[in-house]
Amino acid sequence: MSSFGFGLVTAAVLALATVGFTMQFAVTNVLNLAYGSVMINSAFVTYYLNIHGVPTWVALFGGVATGAIASWLLNQFVFTPFQRRNRPPITIVIVALGVDLVGTFGLQAIVGGSYVSFRQSPGHEYHFLGMFFSGLQLVILGIAVVVLGIIHWLLRYTRLGKAMRATSANPSLARNSGVKTKTIISTTWLISGALCGLAGTVFALNTGVFEATSAQLYIVLLLAAMFLGGPGEPYGAMFGALVIGLSTEISAAYVNPQYKEVIAFVALLGMLTFRPYGIFGSEKTL
Amino acid sequence: MSVDLSKAGMVLATSDLSAGYDGRAIVSEIAVEASPGQVISIVGPNGSGKSTLLKSLVGVVKVLGGHVKLGDADITNMAPEEIAKLGVGYVPQIDDVFPPLSVKENLEIGGYLLARREIPARVDAVLEVFPRLKNMMTRKAGKLSGGERKMLAMGRVLMLSPSVLVLDEPTANLAPIVATQLLEEYVRGFAEHGSTVLLVEQRAKAALRISDWTYVLGGGRVVLAGAPKDLEQNPVFVESFLGGGTRPAPTK
Ligand SMILES: Nc1ncnc2c1ncn2[C@@H]1O[C@H](COP(=O)(O)OP(=O)(O)O)[C@@H](O)[C@H]1O
Ligand SMILES: [Mg+2]
Repeated sequence: MSSFGFGLVTAAVLALATVGFTMQFAVTNVLNLAYGSVMINSAFVTYYLNIHGVPTWVALFGGVATGAIASWLLNQFVFTPFQRRNRPPITIVIVALGVDLVGTFGLQAIVGGSYVSFRQSPGHEYHFLGMFFSGLQLVILGIAVVVLGIIHWLLRYTRLGKAMRATSANPSLARNSGVKTKTIISTTWLISGALCGLAGTVFALNTGVFEATSAQLYIVLLLAAMFLGGPGEPYGAMFGALVIGLSTEISAAYVNPQYKEVIAFVALLGMLTFRPYGIFGSEKTL
Repeated sequence: MSVDLSKAGMVLATSDLSAGYDGRAIVSEIAVEASPGQVISIVGPNGSGKSTLLKSLVGVVKVLGGHVKLGDADITNMAPEEIAKLGVGYVPQIDDVFPPLSVKENLEIGGYLLARREIPARVDAVLEVFPRLKNMMTRKAGKLSGGERKMLAMGRVLMLSPSVLVLDEPTANLAPIVATQLLEEYVRGFAEHGSTVLLVEQRAKAALRISDWTYVLGGGRVVLAGAPKDLEQNPVFVESFLGGGTRPAPTK
């Protein structure tokens, strides 16, 4: 049962990350494989603010801003130029992979290879229903619930959110309806990038100790969660994250925790084979 | 139609227009003109460039030469969202709705350029025109029948009270009765209200019945143009578009 509690927190972090990742794919058509490196860079910004005396939960906003700005820049100066030249999607995927390596090992060159951790005590230990949570974990769970609620509200009830969904479903028709899709796409990078930065920070907080390459394999979990729920489906992403988060932690309790990504990868392969549009998804249904 | 849905029309005209994909012209030397209060139709065989022509008018396909004018404004190669803002409503032949969005959300996106508080009243006005949409507001557009979907697609452009309606084969895949109703009641109705209607239509006979002027496209060029009653007398036109040989009965 304690691994279930762990799994919930892992799932909450993964849900934050996957929703941003899937929004990028849905609205802007970029499978941003550099997502993990933006996460870890954001985590390090939070970390440096933190060790220079900024309280973790304030420093977190530095990480969020880093994710938002880095992602926006990435779109503006890397992905959009390639898309404008009508390069096939595989080109963008390869470019993103390159960016991921540069982002990760560039960071490593700057911060070094050693493990670090936040100045943040895990707080009280709480237990209910046979599960143990640290105060820190409860805060992470709370952040995830609130932020995902905000994303839900944004997508369902706001003009911006509806324009994002319209742009995802039919960009050409969106423009004919007066939607400046370019602005919507930029805004999507800011919002999804903020989610990425937030996810990176809480991922690092949840891990406890981390270093520049700690999020290297996270992309496997992201892809598994995204494909499980249906690519481009934010609600599917939340569901997929829950399944992947729980199953990887619970199975890690029984087999070697090193195999987490392997388990996620097997789930991903299964989805790609049997339900490439995910459990809920049709082709693209933000 | 009991509700005033469109603004007074504007003239939409092209001169020596050529347009196409990847720098290659599909349509050339096009001069067409659509005026307020009229239905101007474009007919022609599949692949003759009808859709390409309409797309070039609304900013979706690049204009390679010549001009598109809306009233006095030159809108050649303007961004689609700007052309929408100027009052041109475009219903594409395919992909004419946002499938994962509800009917209501589709209409709201149609009214994207309006102030938030104007939208509910506009939605109501559009529903007056297409009452069938009323009890399917929460349904996803992708789940509608062909006829309902076309009504939604038209309803979406009516949200902005367009001066000019550009419709690409609105009756494709519709049952004949629904198609006739759509053309005679709605499309003709828009013109009666003073809008400018530019209509591409496969059903030549039905198109002629509601048109004030018709252009015939062939191989990317205007090969024939005229008032419907004259085209109905033209043996070449009758042969190719009105089902060979038999002269159609005069429609009015
Ligand atoms: N996106 C596109 N890219 C390249 N060629 C196209 C594209 N769309 C249509 N065409 C070509 O343009 C020509 C005219 O097509 P279209 O305008 O759709 O004709 P119509 O609407 O009269 O059936 C066809 O030969 C078609 O193959
Ligand atoms: Mg066509």
